[in-house]
Amino acid sequence: MRAKIAALAVVTLVLQRVLGMPGMPAWFGYLILPMIWIVAASLGRKERHWPYEALLLGLAWDLLFGPVVGPGGIAWTAACLSLYGLASVVADRSPVAWAVFGVVGAVVVILVQRLAVMPLGLANSFSIGQLAWSAVLTGLWCGFVGTVLALDLGKHWRAYQVRKLR
Amino acid sequence: MSRTYLLRTVLVWTLLELLAALQVPAVGGSPVLFSWLRTLIEPVAMVAQGTVDLAVDLGLGARGLQRATVENREMRIALETLRARQILLQADLAALREIGDFAGPSAEFDAGALVGRCTYRDLIAGTMEVRTAGSFILAHDTPVVSAKGLVGRVLRSDGRRHWLQLLTHAAAAVAVKTEDSLVHGLALGTGSNALTIAYVPRQAELERGDLLITSGGDGIYPPGIPAARVTRIRESDEPFLEVTAVSTADLHAIRMVLILPEWAPTASGGLP
Repeated sequence: MRAKIAALAVVTLVLQRVLGMPGMPAWFGYLILPMIWIVAASLGRKERHWPYEALLLGLAWDLLFGPVVGPGGIAWTAACLSLYGLASVVADRSPVAWAVFGVVGAVVVILVQRLAVMPLGLANSFSIGQLAWSAVLTGLWCGFVGTVLALDLGKHWRAYQVRKLR
Repeated sequence: MSRTYLLRTVLVWTLLELLAALQVPAVGGSPVLFSWLRTLIEPVAMVAQGTVDLAVDLGLGARGLQRATVENREMRIALETLRARQILLQADLAALREIGDFAGPSAEFDAGALVGRCTYRDLIAGTMEVRTAGSFILAHDTPVVSAKGLVGRVLRSDGRRHWLQLLTHAAAAVAVKTEDSLVHGLALGTGSNALTIAYVPRQAELERGDLLITSGGDGIYPPGIPAARVTRIRESDEPFLEVTAVSTADLHAIRMVLILPEWAPTASGGLP
């Protein structure tokens, strides 16, 4: 199961890379696809220990998208810890909750990463609009995944196959 | 979040930030991490250097203080030495002046008169110790005078050291007379600075302040030496006056004395 999740995480990172390729719409760059993994982990309360997976995810993010390795690990673990804390006080697990968690995670990741690179002299331009766009799109993405999971398409597909075989 | 979680988070984030700082070059080309380390280390190094400098300065100051203390002590000792030497020089100067005063009386005596320096006196006991430049064995009863008058006689002599019996000694007696030789008497020591002049007839014309000189009648002292000055005269039922006098020689401050070893009384009782 862990290997499958890791493989899927790698796939999302590759997709994230693809979204930033030249020729793709500019707003694709605001979408943070790997956020779904820490949202799912926090809402599923599957992680009982310190979020090493988020750390690895952040370091991988840095390797692929950042100028230096390190700030991504800080940002992603911070987002994961924030979402753990939020999930402990919010009982809602609906698609709306997934979207809201995505928004919060995106905001935390972006802000913490900017803060982490600030002492290094690498702080780039930052605007509230970009932050809002990224938060909204990531929230929609997480909400979409949450909706799919809530619809349980696999169960409906299996029921369809059973009916078809009859 | 438990405390362990918090500590672990801070630790991991710090390591990640340091890892990132190691990858970013600073202005000089070295990683930003090194500039951070320099920023952290330099104040500590400055404080350490300042502490070392302070310790060195304190050590130098303590050594300088110790040296100054020793020098101060040596200077005090030197100052005390100079003061003592000054006192001795003043004493020598006063002695030399007294020796100069001897030019008058010594001319009256033989050339064999010796100059002695008073080194110890006990006026209560009526004794004095004098020292001479050379070793001499002085005869018993050798008269001793000062520039101001009679001092006493030699009791014992031992090389350079000679012990005298002052004329104020309780057992001392000196034959005295007035300068006009009309009144004779015997000056007796009392153990104090006062002398009792005995055997002065009631009809004698003697006044307070009169000078009494040696008459030579005792066969010990040469005549004509100032011996005492009358301070009190009193008549009583006795056939003689009660006369009190004081020694003319300042026995308290006397430094130099003249010893007359070769004086010998003549049959007439005068100077040889």
